[in-house]
Amino acid sequence: MAAIIEAQGLQKHFGKFQALRDISFTVNAGEVVGFIGPNGAGKSTTIRVLLGIIRGDGGQATIFGRNVWQERLAIHPRVAYVPGDVALWGNLTGGEIIDLFIKLHGGGDKTKRDELIKKFELDPRKKAKSYSKGNRQKVGLIAALSVPADLYIFDEPTSGLDPLMEMVFQEEVEQIKAAGKAILLSSHILSEVERLADKVAIIRQGKIVETGTLDELRHLTRSTVRLVAEQDPHDLATLRGVYDFTQKGAQVTFSVDNSALNTVLRAVTTLGVKKFEVVPPTLEDLFMRHYED
Amino acid sequence: MNEKFALWTVLLRQYLKRDWRKIVIWVLGLGLFASAYVPAFKEIAKGSGLPTMYTTMKNPAMISIVGPTPIKNAADYTIGAMYGQEMLLFCGLFAMIVAALHVVGHTRKEEDFGLTELVQSFRVGRQANSLAVIVETIFINLLLALLTAGVMVSFRVASISLPGALLFGGALGLAGILGAALALLFAQIMPTSGGASGATLGLVGLLYVVRAGTDVSNVTWSWFNPLGWLYLTFPFTDNNWAPLVYGLLVSLVLVVVAFVLEGRRDVGVGYLPERAGRATAKSGLLSVPGLFLRLNRGTIISWMVALVLLGMAYGSIYGDMQSFLESNALMKQMFAATHTSIEASFTSTIIVVLVDLAAILPIAIVNKLFTEETRLHLSQLYVTKVSRRKLYWTNVSLALVAGVLGVALAAGSLGATALAAIGATSKMTLFDFLAAGFSGWPVVLFVTGLAALALGWAPRLGKIAYLYLGYSFALNYFGGILNLPDWFTKTAVQTWLPRLPVAQFNGPTFATITVLGIVLLVLGDLGYQRRDLI
Ligand SMILES: Nc1ncnc2c1ncn2[C@@H]1O[C@H](COP(=O)(O)OP(=O)(O)O)[C@@H](O)[C@H]1O
Ligand SMILES: [Mg+2]
Repeated sequence: MAAIIEAQGLQKHFGKFQALRDISFTVNAGEVVGFIGPNGAGKSTTIRVLLGIIRGDGGQATIFGRNVWQERLAIHPRVAYVPGDVALWGNLTGGEIIDLFIKLHGGGDKTKRDELIKKFELDPRKKAKSYSKGNRQKVGLIAALSVPADLYIFDEPTSGLDPLMEMVFQEEVEQIKAAGKAILLSSHILSEVERLADKVAIIRQGKIVETGTLDELRHLTRSTVRLVAEQDPHDLATLRGVYDFTQKGAQVTFSVDNSALNTVLRAVTTLGVKKFEVVPPTLEDLFMRHYED
Repeated sequence: MNEKFALWTVLLRQYLKRDWRKIVIWVLGLGLFASAYVPAFKEIAKGSGLPTMYTTMKNPAMISIVGPTPIKNAADYTIGAMYGQEMLLFCGLFAMIVAALHVVGHTRKEEDFGLTELVQSFRVGRQANSLAVIVETIFINLLLALLTAGVMVSFRVASISLPGALLFGGALGLAGILGAALALLFAQIMPTSGGASGATLGLVGLLYVVRAGTDVSNVTWSWFNPLGWLYLTFPFTDNNWAPLVYGLLVSLVLVVVAFVLEGRRDVGVGYLPERAGRATAKSGLLSVPGLFLRLNRGTIISWMVALVLLGMAYGSIYGDMQSFLESNALMKQMFAATHTSIEASFTSTIIVVLVDLAAILPIAIVNKLFTEETRLHLSQLYVTKVSRRKLYWTNVSLALVAGVLGVALAAGSLGATALAAIGATSKMTLFDFLAAGFSGWPVVLFVTGLAALALGWAPRLGKIAYLYLGYSFALNYFGGILNLPDWFTKTAVQTWLPRLPVAQFNGPTFATITVLGIVLLVLGDLGYQRRDLI
């Protein structure tokens, strides 16, 4: 697999404030990488360093094997980008802005453009000043999805979109992925990343704290177990790797390190199990674990 | 009053309470502006000022700007006559525009924000709001009329009588009422509040231009122009009250029509449908130059118009220069001694003003790129095949082209008008004017370079180019008078350049400043390549 984006120890200061401390991750061809973290964690800053809009002051990054700052001109025509805050010229219509972007990007697919306008239910004849946030976002997305690219970078793409339009966006992302393109998708909405992403990189205060496939990450964390048994299960609470043990009537609930699952299983078989449920961690749990402290 | 207007007095009281600060500023500001220049006019009138002004104000160029006077010979031109001619139309326009914007603001704009529906969900009548607003505006304009008249007579100038002052104030008030009535009408017709104010202001502008033509060619036609009704009252001279009556009648008709139209339409929509924009872009927009031209179009056009008008205004003075010289022996000697004509001397001074004004536009265009950057309009465009170099140089080129055009239009309109005003006796040609203008071109290039340097390295300092321009303009002007040290005046780039047509063109200086300007542009580019964009 060829690395499309490769970031190694990226840093960025704004004056004295260090927005990026240590950003390392890779995006390979055919991969959707979710880039998640709360507001202010440094997602947009990372993306803007990667796009050569601002210059990182430590570490290094390449896209298509080229330096993101020095060789940005060679990189940009192969990248489609939608910024987090799509701001448009109020006096131009949505249609005009989309056309302008497509042309300046180097040309695109006219039928694709029209099809996307229809799918996203955008009125292209309206002046941009009358668009809502969601509609501005649509203009940015339609423009970016209409041009040919090998790498797509979306910064919080669905903020302001209603759920129906979010679905349209997800379909589009799946198509791009199927075509073997690479996608970097930043978000603080976990469910959307969970649905689309093969890999996630979790960023916190300018640092990547976790990367990997969703499965790998789940493995690192705890599952939730709900259990009803004939005998009293409270001894389980003392096992290594078991946490948050609560008992409510006959049912007990606890979380368990995935690495300790086997020990727990062996212990419960002796209790006369009536009900046993294991819920794998959601990304939400994963996320919370990194942020709770 | 029927239920359509239910509770309108409540709304009126609300408005008066809410707007009182605005009303005070409006009435005092406009009223004093219209009336308090009487002492200044008294100064002008001293000595042989009045007959001189009379000649100046008989100039068609001046008439087209301020309007005519009924006075037939210079001896009858009083302070009052002069005041009426020079101030009434101008102040009336202000009164009209302020009133129009106020009415649109309280009617369609509130509809667009959805406030109207909120108010109407109480027991307020559907049309109570419009009635309240129009009554409020009439009340404000009556105050304005009385204040203006009162202040004017308080200066105790013989030719400014009470009836004349009341008529002057009344005409001002009428202007406001007419503006309000027009705005109320357009508020019903146009699809948005922006459209309503645009249409009103556009119509007022059109009427102004039309009356400029009819005033010069045949004043009778101006009687058919609502703007004409302001100054055709001729306060302090003919004191004709008839135009006020016409104006009030027409305002009444406009308001009634507006109410009928409003009664038949839905909240938030006008009679004209909202014009849909283009679904696809014209090819003219689809390039970086096309985009930048579009973004700066309004600014460029308005600057060009302003420069042409200014050139014409200054140019129209040339006709009176010889007669001025005839009446002033000292000046005549002075010009004879220096072997320059008064026209050439005046040109060399005024051209600096025009070139400096023309230099503002390129600075504005260069700074616009950073404005676009801070508004995040360009974020998505950064990641296309468009390079930073392309953005920078397209922007700079547009600024320079606009600068060339500005200098050409300002100097050209000055020259053309001047030559027309002087007539066949002129020793100057249009080329002399253009040469004088373009001999100042390095100034434009230099300040554009300063702005570009800021854009590249410290974009938040973009205003510095304006500051420098203002500073050097002032220094250039007062330097000679105040006898400042040479090194100090030389910090103003204008002082390096000889002033044509009085002085000789200096090639090396021209070239030096030009090169300096180009160096600044290149340095700016280096910074723009390197810095973080927003
Ligand atoms: N141009 C800038 N100047 C100063 N601070 C900035 C700038 N851009 C971002 N920051 C700061 O850097 C941090 C990361 O911001 P950002 O990358 O926008 O976060 P995210 O996109 O994850 O919400 C925030 O604390 C933000 O205030
Ligand atoms: Mg962000």
